[in-house]
Amino acid sequence: MRRRGFLLAAAGIGLTSACGSFTGTAGGGRIAVDLAFAPTQGLSPYGDDGLLLSRLAVVDGLTRMDTDGVVHPALAAEWTRTNDTTWEFTLRDARFQDGGAVTADAVVGALRAAGRAEVTPRVLSDVRLTVRAAGERTVRITTGTADPLLPARLANPSLAIFSPAAYGKKGGAVDPVGTATGPFALTKLNGAVSATLDRFDGHWAGKAAARGVDVTFVADNNARANALRSGQIELAEFVPAAQALVLGDRARKVATVRTTTLYLNTRTGPLADPALRAAVRENTDTSALAKSVYEGYAEHATGLLGPGFAWADGQQLPVTGRTKAATPHGQRLTLATYTNRAELPEVAAALQQQLERAGFKVKLVVKDYARLETGALDGEYDAFLMSRSTALDTGDPVSYLASDFTSGGSFNISQLRDKTVDAAVRKAAGLDHTERQHAVLAAEAAILRTDAAVPIVHEEHLQGVGAGVRGVVLDPYERQFVGLETRAR
Amino acid sequence: MKNAKVVAGRVAAAGGLLALTALLPWLTRTDPALTVLHARYGDAPTTPDQLADVREQLGLSEGPFTFVGQWVRGLFHGDLGASWVTGADVGADVSAAFGVSLSLMAYAMAVAVAVVVAVALCLPALRRGTTRPPGGVGAGTLAALPEFLLASVLATLFAVRLGWFPAQGWQSPASAVLPALALGIPAGAVLGRLGQDALPAAFAEPWVRTWRASGLTRARIARHAARRALPAVLPQAGLTVVGLTGAAAAVEAVFAIPGLGGTAVAAALDLDLPLLQGCLLVLLALGVAAAVSVGLLRRRLLGPALEAGALPGLARTPGAGPARFYAAGALAAALLAVIIWGLTRDALHVDLAARLAPPSAAHPFGTDALGRDVLARLGHGALRTLAVAAAVCAACFVVGVALGLARWTTGLTEVANALPAILAGLLVTGLFGAGLAGAAVAVAAVGWAPLAAHTAALAEAERASGHVEAAVVHGAGRWHILRRHVLGGVLPSVGRHALLRLAPTTLALASLSFLGLGTQPPSPEWGRLLMENLPYAERAPWSVLAPAAALACVGAFLALASTPQGRGELRARPRRRRTRE
Repeated sequence: MRRRGFLLAAAGIGLTSACGSFTGTAGGGRIAVDLAFAPTQGLSPYGDDGLLLSRLAVVDGLTRMDTDGVVHPALAAEWTRTNDTTWEFTLRDARFQDGGAVTADAVVGALRAAGRAEVTPRVLSDVRLTVRAAGERTVRITTGTADPLLPARLANPSLAIFSPAAYGKKGGAVDPVGTATGPFALTKLNGAVSATLDRFDGHWAGKAAARGVDVTFVADNNARANALRSGQIELAEFVPAAQALVLGDRARKVATVRTTTLYLNTRTGPLADPALRAAVRENTDTSALAKSVYEGYAEHATGLLGPGFAWADGQQLPVTGRTKAATPHGQRLTLATYTNRAELPEVAAALQQQLERAGFKVKLVVKDYARLETGALDGEYDAFLMSRSTALDTGDPVSYLASDFTSGGSFNISQLRDKTVDAAVRKAAGLDHTERQHAVLAAEAAILRTDAAVPIVHEEHLQGVGAGVRGVVLDPYERQFVGLETRAR
Repeated sequence: MKNAKVVAGRVAAAGGLLALTALLPWLTRTDPALTVLHARYGDAPTTPDQLADVREQLGLSEGPFTFVGQWVRGLFHGDLGASWVTGADVGADVSAAFGVSLSLMAYAMAVAVAVVVAVALCLPALRRGTTRPPGGVGAGTLAALPEFLLASVLATLFAVRLGWFPAQGWQSPASAVLPALALGIPAGAVLGRLGQDALPAAFAEPWVRTWRASGLTRARIARHAARRALPAVLPQAGLTVVGLTGAAAAVEAVFAIPGLGGTAVAAALDLDLPLLQGCLLVLLALGVAAAVSVGLLRRRLLGPALEAGALPGLARTPGAGPARFYAAGALAAALLAVIIWGLTRDALHVDLAARLAPPSAAHPFGTDALGRDVLARLGHGALRTLAVAAAVCAACFVVGVALGLARWTTGLTEVANALPAILAGLLVTGLFGAGLAGAAVAVAAVGWAPLAAHTAALAEAERASGHVEAAVVHGAGRWHILRRHVLGGVLPSVGRHALLRLAPTTLALASLSFLGLGTQPPSPEWGRLLMENLPYAERAPWSVLAPAAALACVGAFLALASTPQGRGELRARPRRRRTRE
């Protein structure tokens, strides 16, 4: 009986080994890609799934943002601002992947659907848009208050344009299969497991180099790196710094607009004392962390905004009038961070030691993010270490500064209530172009003066790019990855 | 009558578990709207309006009972509802994941059976027909190997370096080889060790002498002895089938396999109740199916003898020689020396300049990613790791034996076995707060099940044996029989089984800690050392090797130390404890 089982097992194993090496390399001009985050909404664009569609070049918006954060025409060939609150966008001659023409009516329908979405897309959270067709190829958009950022907002993947056939599904979700306008059309979505894209030959900017993309959603960092190294795939999104050395030149460095920041509780606990906050700042050695934990794939932070913002790089204003640091005498701090990003617990452990050397007593709290957020917002921790995107929604940092550091901010972990900061951020929000940038830098300096946050590092991402793969888009704003020019050898 | 009781127990236990899961958000006082929103939209800040919208949409405002009612009503129509996070049909998602997991489990079971056979063939009992207990060092060490470590090593070696097998996905039978090995080897080692326990006892039974005297071939006797040993191992195999299907999340993650284990863990963390309920339902059904088939098979193997009360009692096998005793001592001394050496060093000192340094005079076991001394962390983590794991195993042993002796608990055992440890962790820490004690309770809450199943299997055979029959005839009471006859046969085997689970217990505790449900870093438990350093395994193998070797040493030591000591004799005799010859 046992023997029969053994024979069966042996036969089974023999059979499986006989099948030999199986590689998922797409071949035939197709590209195999591992993405780090699986779709959570069936690739309906209103949440983070929109970013996935955008990274896979499935969708276009009226505008698009390049890797320097500059806004360019996309489905809209041009636009004019007719007054403070009104804009007119002229559409180019483009087609949906299902064959229909991109008309003003279709665009109006798509943008209105985004406004009606079950959970309002973040990019629309601080603005009210009224959209009307003003001609067959003209769309008029009115904003509630003057909004210099409107063209940048429209580049957000949540506001991508789909054909009328995509809307009207139960629950307001968008059906992205074959209904977008990008160079690649989604042909099949297999839950949170995989997706297949084919080239869309009728794209307005020309045909993509690759014939299609085979996407697998792989959450495990090492699994993606392994698949890339084994040659099973051509592209792996976000490979961990720990793997950089073994990946060699297959790991490509990308600057980001993410800053790992230590938020300090300005309201309760020992750090309500600005002198002790200054002591925390003075005793953190951030360059050692960038070199070690991040393996050099991060720059020690010079401010809240990193080199991902080309215009802010090296332009930071000097921070003046800070409170002088006091010497800590065994004050107890709770430092919290989360496990969802692998480096953070390591950084926290290193910070713990640096602060204990300075004279604090530090207790670490490390949990899954969802289990920390409420406590962090309620000011439960003295210090909260977080990797924060400073500009994902509009490519502009003002909404980040407002939500994180102003009195009414929705994400004010530092519990900061500072009139100077509030005024500085408010001022930046009303300005445009270079003036806005100057005002943002002034607001940043005002925030740093309070020591409510200690910037630790400006992160850099590593994208895994197989040997011989060309034309990958390395985007600090995390919106692009596979593009028109991407091809495998 | 007996069957009705068992069925009722199953229904009650399964219903209880599903109800408990449905109450998860209310019991743990977490806001499902918040976790669901995070699952949908990433780690972006949420507003009260959005939360209210989600609550409305999921029908959370109406309380837990409405949800349970709707779910049960849907169940009768074959509708498992829609996922709270993705809105996708749970039935379709679960059946796809279940299909993958089921075939992965089949491959892994094939590997496990191969390991069991290999372990059995190594036994002197099977080869020479002696009744000496085996040392079980090999099986004990293999059973202490963490699955996820094995999976990573296999992936690096055979998928990345050699390119023999795919590194990810589930497209062809070749995709199954590496994950099946990672899952099947430790599972097979546990089953093999139980077989090692049962086989010498079978050889010590009186019929063997008769057969041998009648000149039957050794092979034939061995075959029948294996058949006699099988009923004690079968229930365990049944539980393993469920475990490999539902609790393979770590291995699934390494190979990016879209299986049920990962689905259930993600659903539990996101508080995606419909999806979680769907996963549990499928696992419970599989558990019952496995238990029923095991029951039928056992009845076929034991049936007539069970009913006639004519089974030979579990024979006491003779003890092993002193060599094993000395080997265990030497291993313990070596381990203790390393631990004490480590204790004299600083386990928390971060030295970023000495990151991932190889072993040297300054750091005999090298350093980890923060430049902390691996030897020091090993030493400082030892006490806590082993003490907590031992406490958990002891609790599992007591509860397992107590519940295993009662017949009505079959359903409860199956349900506890099908419950993923992480779900137990969420429930327990939600109720009593996170921390080491909470994590320990959670692991114990599911860890008793295999021991109970083992106890039940052995006790059933013992109760049906001739000497119990004789005792009944002599007017012995229930307690007397239990104490003098049943427990004597059951305890040693189940005790060894409990010790075998020590290493997996430390890892289960560590994986809960990793989610923030257990201890907090930087406390250096061995399981945490393994998980922390795993990403660096290729560049700094020492950082993973040290804790893995320590766990394997403990596994080998326990296997050696739990072998009965004494004079090597061939006759079946009541065992007496002797320490020296």
